[in-house]
Amino acid sequence: MKKVVEGSHAVSEAVRLARVQVISAYPITPQTHIVEALSDYCADGSLDARFICVESEHSAMAAVIGASSGGARTFTATSGQGLAYMHELLHWASGARLPIVMAEVNRALAPGWNIWADQTDSLSQRDTGWIQIYCEDAQEALDTTLMAFRLAEKVNLPVMVILDAFLLSHTFEPVDIPAAKGVDDFLPPFMPQIKLDTSNPYALGQMVGPSAYMEMRHNIQAAMACVPDVLDSIEDNYQQMFLRRYGAVEAIACEDADVVLAVSGSMAGTCRQIIEDLRNAGTKVGMLKVRMFRPFPGDAVRKILQGVPKVAVVDRNCSLGAGGIFAQEIRSELCNLEKRPEVYSYIAGLGGRDVSLNTLEGICRQTLESDAPSHGSVWVL
Amino acid sequence: METECRTKINSSDEGLMHPGHVACPGCGAAIAMKLALNALGPKTMVVIPACCWGIIAGAYPQSSLGVPLLQTAFATAGAAASGLRAALDANGDFQTTVMAWAGDGGTFDIGLQSLSGAVERNEDFIYVCYDNEAYMNTGVQRSSATPYGTRTTTTPGEGWKRSGKKNIMDIMAAHRIPYAATASIAFPHDLVRKFKKAAAMRGGTRFIHLFASCPTGWGIPSESSVSIARLAVQTNSFPLYEIENGVQYILNYKGDLPVERYLKRQGRFKHLLSPDIKSIQKQVDGDWQVLAGRVNQVNLLEQPAFAREGE
Amino acid sequence: MSETVMPDKNSLSNFCMAPDLLLSRSSQTTRSNKTGDWRFVRPVYRDKTAPCSVACPAGEDIPRIEMLAARGQFQAAWDVIMQENPFPAVCGRVCFHPCEGACNRSDFDTPLAIHHVERSIGVHALEKGLTPSTEPAARKKKRIAIVGSGPSGLSAAYFLNRLGYESHVYEAREEAGGLLRWGIPEYRLPRAILAAEISRLEGLGVHVHCKTPVARDILDARDTDHHAVFVGCGHAHYVFPGIQGQELMVDGLEYLRSVRAGTAQDVSGDVAVIGGGNAAIDVARTLIRGHARVYILYRRRIVDMPAFEREREAALVEGLTIMELVAPVAVEAAGNRIRLTVQAMQMSGEDAGDGRARVVPKGDATETLTVDKVVAATGAEADPAWAPSTGAGPGRLNMSHCLFEERGIPIIYGGDLMSPVLSIPHAVMSGKQAAMALDTYFQSGMDAVIPRLEACRIGKGPIVSMETYCQGKARQNNSQAVTFADIKGDMFSVAKRQEPPELSPELRIKSFSPVEACLSRESAVQEAGRCFNCGMCNGCGYCSIFCPEMAVKLGEPNTINLDYCKGCGICVAECPRNAMHLETEAP
Repeated sequence: MKKVVEGSHAVSEAVRLARVQVISAYPITPQTHIVEALSDYCADGSLDARFICVESEHSAMAAVIGASSGGARTFTATSGQGLAYMHELLHWASGARLPIVMAEVNRALAPGWNIWADQTDSLSQRDTGWIQIYCEDAQEALDTTLMAFRLAEKVNLPVMVILDAFLLSHTFEPVDIPAAKGVDDFLPPFMPQIKLDTSNPYALGQMVGPSAYMEMRHNIQAAMACVPDVLDSIEDNYQQMFLRRYGAVEAIACEDADVVLAVSGSMAGTCRQIIEDLRNAGTKVGMLKVRMFRPFPGDAVRKILQGVPKVAVVDRNCSLGAGGIFAQEIRSELCNLEKRPEVYSYIAGLGGRDVSLNTLEGICRQTLESDAPSHGSVWVL
Repeated sequence: METECRTKINSSDEGLMHPGHVACPGCGAAIAMKLALNALGPKTMVVIPACCWGIIAGAYPQSSLGVPLLQTAFATAGAAASGLRAALDANGDFQTTVMAWAGDGGTFDIGLQSLSGAVERNEDFIYVCYDNEAYMNTGVQRSSATPYGTRTTTTPGEGWKRSGKKNIMDIMAAHRIPYAATASIAFPHDLVRKFKKAAAMRGGTRFIHLFASCPTGWGIPSESSVSIARLAVQTNSFPLYEIENGVQYILNYKGDLPVERYLKRQGRFKHLLSPDIKSIQKQVDGDWQVLAGRVNQVNLLEQPAFAREGE
Repeated sequence: MSETVMPDKNSLSNFCMAPDLLLSRSSQTTRSNKTGDWRFVRPVYRDKTAPCSVACPAGEDIPRIEMLAARGQFQAAWDVIMQENPFPAVCGRVCFHPCEGACNRSDFDTPLAIHHVERSIGVHALEKGLTPSTEPAARKKKRIAIVGSGPSGLSAAYFLNRLGYESHVYEAREEAGGLLRWGIPEYRLPRAILAAEISRLEGLGVHVHCKTPVARDILDARDTDHHAVFVGCGHAHYVFPGIQGQELMVDGLEYLRSVRAGTAQDVSGDVAVIGGGNAAIDVARTLIRGHARVYILYRRRIVDMPAFEREREAALVEGLTIMELVAPVAVEAAGNRIRLTVQAMQMSGEDAGDGRARVVPKGDATETLTVDKVVAATGAEADPAWAPSTGAGPGRLNMSHCLFEERGIPIIYGGDLMSPVLSIPHAVMSGKQAAMALDTYFQSGMDAVIPRLEACRIGKGPIVSMETYCQGKARQNNSQAVTFADIKGDMFSVAKRQEPPELSPELRIKSFSPVEACLSRESAVQEAGRCFNCGMCNGCGYCSIFCPEMAVKLGEPNTINLDYCKGCGICVAECPRNAMHLETEAP
């Protein structure tokens, strides 16, 4: 059923369709619309879930950890400062191998107190063992959320479904909302591998010494290594049922490109337009949308970029003291290729600053005109 | 008390808690958990944040509990237990009791926020703070549950703790939860009664503040663990009472011994001079007056009323 | 262990080589860690001796009796009494219960009413017709003659019978019991109770021959009729004060006997009773019931009177007047009354040498009383025919409650003839000691007697236990008696001592009905529950309740699981009754 919905509500609809059992959340702009809608659904009975109104984000994550350990399908949502507050427990969720799904609305970190789109918050959590998927538009947000549950429950790793603040979360778009029956087929009831049960008691989270800890960490890494294939197979299924798939990455016109713009999130939508415009004007430009950031789809990126002379990575984030984070990751995936592109790193759009068609065109031109990339990132102010 | 004893606590080894755990000899917290689980039975799940019991619970791949256990991050007992309860309810299990079991640090300090959040929501669980009055697991550092006068590793020498013990029961009463009670390992029948009473009061938050001696951290011989806990009650340093709905106070014990009897037996207080002890007596008396003023009912343990000579 | 994930409906899951979940999930029990090797001391259950047991002249295992009674197991409690004393219903009325004076509970609230509980148990046994559960020893084909059927003789007969000997008690009078029958008034010891307990002895195999006086030459016999003789004929002869006109006085013991036989003449009016012992009090209270106005005249102070204080107090309540520090000097007739001249006495400050204060006449002050009767109750002595000789020598063994002489056959003098204190329980102990001595003598000779009895002592005194003698394991006595300091008062609460209902003084003196009723069973159970069970494990379970390692298993006996016991010592520290201690762990 097609409906015009806000990005946030696309996520809420997916959570309702997924028949989540326990939701725990703390309000923070611009995540609030997601959880408010879920509260409505719980109140009107269209979602049979327990909604725990916790007193902080740290507790929100703790509550879903508790609920997931009890064998319930769980969901939470946050943004910016809230995500940062949960940091300790993000590590915990993945270490505990709990299939939690969280919607994370990319928002700048304070101070300055800024509520607009910026990816530094989620990328700061890149080491926590969460699968991270960056959504371009509302449809993708809905579809990704549904896929996230299946992915999480398959590999027992938590999944972050990421939306840009306002640009995606508060933008209304037409969205095809799948029918409940179809979703039930796609996403059967949760059959947890971890479930506390008095008839089969065990302890979760005991102290683990040096002789056993590394193996557990390795187990997580091995699970991460399966994710690209698992996501692929899930998308096969999704495509069969709902006619849509997205891939860990999407390449547009990269085969003969002189420069490929590597982008993520809502910026990818703008980028599609600039690719079309510039191609029409004769510039051989391509686009690489990086959708899955963790695990980083190195194979796919290498495959797409290895023949490309230049890649301009546009990061709406910065690892202060280093540079754009997507650029770092792409660089490191390419560094052992014999023939590898020059990686130009651009930082744009921090704190919600608009990344317009002009911005992207400018980045493209500068990249084409430069002889060599600078060592750091170029800030597009 | 002897007559109560004839109606026997079931202290036999039922497999709810296993021996072979690494609690210090004489650990009050080990006694406390054993009695609590015996009162609650096998349809119980325990949520434990970082604390001594995080270690006593056993190291991977062992567990010293025969019931399901969820260890969680330090600050999160209240929240994690809330989530676990929600999951059980979502899956149709309304019989299993969720018990959060946290130390004083994880309750009074770092865990206070999530506790307050959970009890304001009147979460359907039993939250137990077993209180050994310091961060014992990390080496006897002070917490806000450490009483005035105590030497710890972060209130050493002349820097002994000058601030008083936070009143967690007052805090719980302010949340108007259905049931809050203090309990002590030295009064096992009263403890078991309170756990059973709590277990039967489903549907809201039940909080138990449980005094659990720590021979290691308090500088007392391991064999004195229970008798020191008894003295705490007998000197009104740790009164036994219950609060229903935040307003009905039920008194369980009227202490009648001077605090000096309690203080002088413990290494953590041995530096205190006579004026300090007098000051502590005054504080204890003052707090007792406040408590006595709130009491609506008494349900007194049978207690001796004879004049005892020096211990 | 983990639930299997159901395959997705359309999945191609096999192509992903995801490893099995490896996380911090634990289900092995910690029981494989034997924390017992942390230990450097270990707790041990070992009973210690209770002060009441030490004080009991008959050597009863009082804490065990109380423990069983508190559980309502009256038959088991009675069996424990019968190990050491065949007269629970009798002693429950007439014993002077020094146990209560030693009771540690006195330092807490009030001493345990051991005496009343014993009476309850004794009565229960009579009502149910119980017999002891201990099998007597195999028959030894030896015949023992017991002269006199007082408490010492009957006890000797009982214990000897239990040890396998054929006991024959010879009693001159028409009914058995000695002072129990003929001396103690009915209001203290009803005949029916005594008769029932004696009848039980006969049912166990003791032969009691009444109206059968025995000649003195039984002691010199060399025939094989008897293999030993126990002489328990007590003090039959009255000692008169030795004053002028004493033939006008009535023999107090004889008076009591006639009352018990139902042949006493009425005595009313004013009666003076000379003496300060239990006999004097018995005489006085009997006379009061005969409507006399009674005056006891005692040469020392009231506090020096050897009569049991309780008896004295009871008599005072009933209307007795005691005149202290007066001694009779002359008795003469005065019409149909009697004039009695008495000398005032005073304390001299010196010890008379027998532990009693010394008195001397106070100048020449004399007083005259005119009364209707004067009764002498100043003491008694043995019939010279039966009195033992004194001194030491080969073939003679002076024991605390008996004298053992090896003549043609062994002769043991016991009861009031030899006991350090003239009381019923001392008489029982005398009979018991005699039985043990004889049995040891027959098996191992004279030299073995003292060491053998040594091994059966309770506490530090001469009191011995038959249960221990018979290799019983129940009692683990040691020489230290538990004091109140060893008891954890904090574990107990003040509880009212159960007192049986009593007749009012006005009603008491109207008849010879018992003054006190028996405690009801419920009250006896409740009272027995007040017993601390000093030094003896009563199964309270606190050791197990407080063990942090779940290492105490309750049972008969309790056991410590040494695989896990860390030796923290809490169980020992918290045992309310000092029935445990810590031992150093062997390296």
